[in-house]
Amino acid sequence: MNKWKKKSPTTNKPYKRPTLTGDGFGGRAGFFLARALTNIRQNVFVNVVTIGTITLALLIVSLFMLIFVNLENAAENWSERVQVTVYFDEDLTEQTQVAFRDKISALSGVSRVNYVTREEAMRRFKNRLKGQETLLEGVRPEILPASFEIALKRTHRDTASVENFVNTLKKMPGITEVQYGEEWVRRFNAFLNFIRLLGALLGGFLIIAVIFIVSNTIKLTIYSRRDELEVMSLVGATRFFIKAPFLLEGLIQGAAGSFLSVLMLFALYEGFLHNAGSFLTFNPASSGLSFLPLEYIGGLLLAGALLGFIGSLTSLKRFINV
Amino acid sequence: MIQLHNVSLAYQQDASALNNIDLKIAKGEFVFLTGPSGAGKTTLLRLLYGALTPNRGQVLIDGKNITRMTQSQIPILRRSVGVVFQDFKLLHNRTVFENVAITLEVLGWGRTDIGKKTMHILKQMGIESKYNLLTQRLSGGEQQRVALARALVNDPKILLADEPTGNLDDANKNQILNIFKEANIRGTTVVVATHDRRLIDQSHKRLVTLSKGEIVEQVEKEIPDDEQAI
Repeated sequence: MNKWKKKSPTTNKPYKRPTLTGDGFGGRAGFFLARALTNIRQNVFVNVVTIGTITLALLIVSLFMLIFVNLENAAENWSERVQVTVYFDEDLTEQTQVAFRDKISALSGVSRVNYVTREEAMRRFKNRLKGQETLLEGVRPEILPASFEIALKRTHRDTASVENFVNTLKKMPGITEVQYGEEWVRRFNAFLNFIRLLGALLGGFLIIAVIFIVSNTIKLTIYSRRDELEVMSLVGATRFFIKAPFLLEGLIQGAAGSFLSVLMLFALYEGFLHNAGSFLTFNPASSGLSFLPLEYIGGLLLAGALLGFIGSLTSLKRFINV
Repeated sequence: MIQLHNVSLAYQQDASALNNIDLKIAKGEFVFLTGPSGAGKTTLLRLLYGALTPNRGQVLIDGKNITRMTQSQIPILRRSVGVVFQDFKLLHNRTVFENVAITLEVLGWGRTDIGKKTMHILKQMGIESKYNLLTQRLSGGEQQRVALARALVNDPKILLADEPTGNLDDANKNQILNIFKEANIRGTTVVVATHDRRLIDQSHKRLVTLSKGEIVEQVEKEIPDDEQAI
């Protein structure tokens, strides 16, 4: 093409090859970004609507996440009570105690092993019967068994794991009795599974709804600018060249929307959520809801940007066919 | 420059828009396409910038067969073909300057060069003072010139125009015609679809008449003495 241009007889100045912005990735990226920002400035209303939609949609999701995360935390606290106790008829000598502790600690899933002597057991018993200590008069610690209290790791607190663990313990020579609040563990885990299933279902529906709403909003905004796509294509722009600014715009919209939604969530949280919901935990120190952990916030921001990007990508596919 | 061999095209199975078209346009030629509405003028032009592919036959532009081009080759073709549309297809939320510069942005030109070249062509069109106005604020004639500037700013090998004088008064028509002629003199092959008899008569150029999708008449206009002198 340039070869032909040089031949044109009436061009006054000798024709110079124009400097190209497209030399190198940086130049192109700069141009696309500038184009995207100009587009946002020139279509303020459309962009406000899109960002607003993304903000609200993600706010709903993040609220849901906040509640779910707090429920999980509460469940986590409750599950601390999953504990296995091993009883011995007699107090163990220092040596056997260490030997048992080592053996038990070596089992998978054990997080903490605590030896309770007969005296310690007696003290606890007395504590429980506060005000009625007279009942225990004449009772000596020897009637109570010594025991190991075994706390389990988080991943080993489900019913099957606990049962497995107990069976292994029972096979150990020297152990007479193992207790673990069987019924409670089973009910607690059933409840936990139910909550998780409910959360996954609701979350899944929410996410599908958000993707649907956001992608349709983006589709409409791109539809309103289809003449731009057409003109670009008619003057010889490649598909990538047409798409890139729109994709960047989607990315910016998504990121802005998710950022705003996190801000709004934080405002809501600071406003009245953080001292609500103390019914969820029994621990008075941690009453009230906690805010989303950092990785969730990061995930939300990333998801927003991705939502904008993919929404634009799928919408563009439909309109670039000139 | 442009060659069509046995080109047929039907939008729907029953009605054919173009039928067995054979047409050769040499480099640097100026050709008018005419005929009644629905004769296939616009369809023919659309074939030439790759917006349509024929059902049958071959379309060659500058030696390259459009019918065998891949998706990614069409944009490259369009960069050497300037098109002026019947409805201008300007972007109304952008300024005159931005509308014209888009052609050069697509080519990847730098900012300064785009600025210089765009202002240069706007000056040629006589609308350089309006460069910062939104195109929706312009009159029909001015919009037409913006569309022309956008088509010509990168000195295309071929200029296609569809009813370029549709709604213009005589003074404007003459100016537009002169712009076409100047582009033609600089070496651009020009194809203008119109049913404006006066425009055709004034310009003494080759005339191809279409009717019901077929070429019914071809007239090679003699070049009058006063034009040969240029």
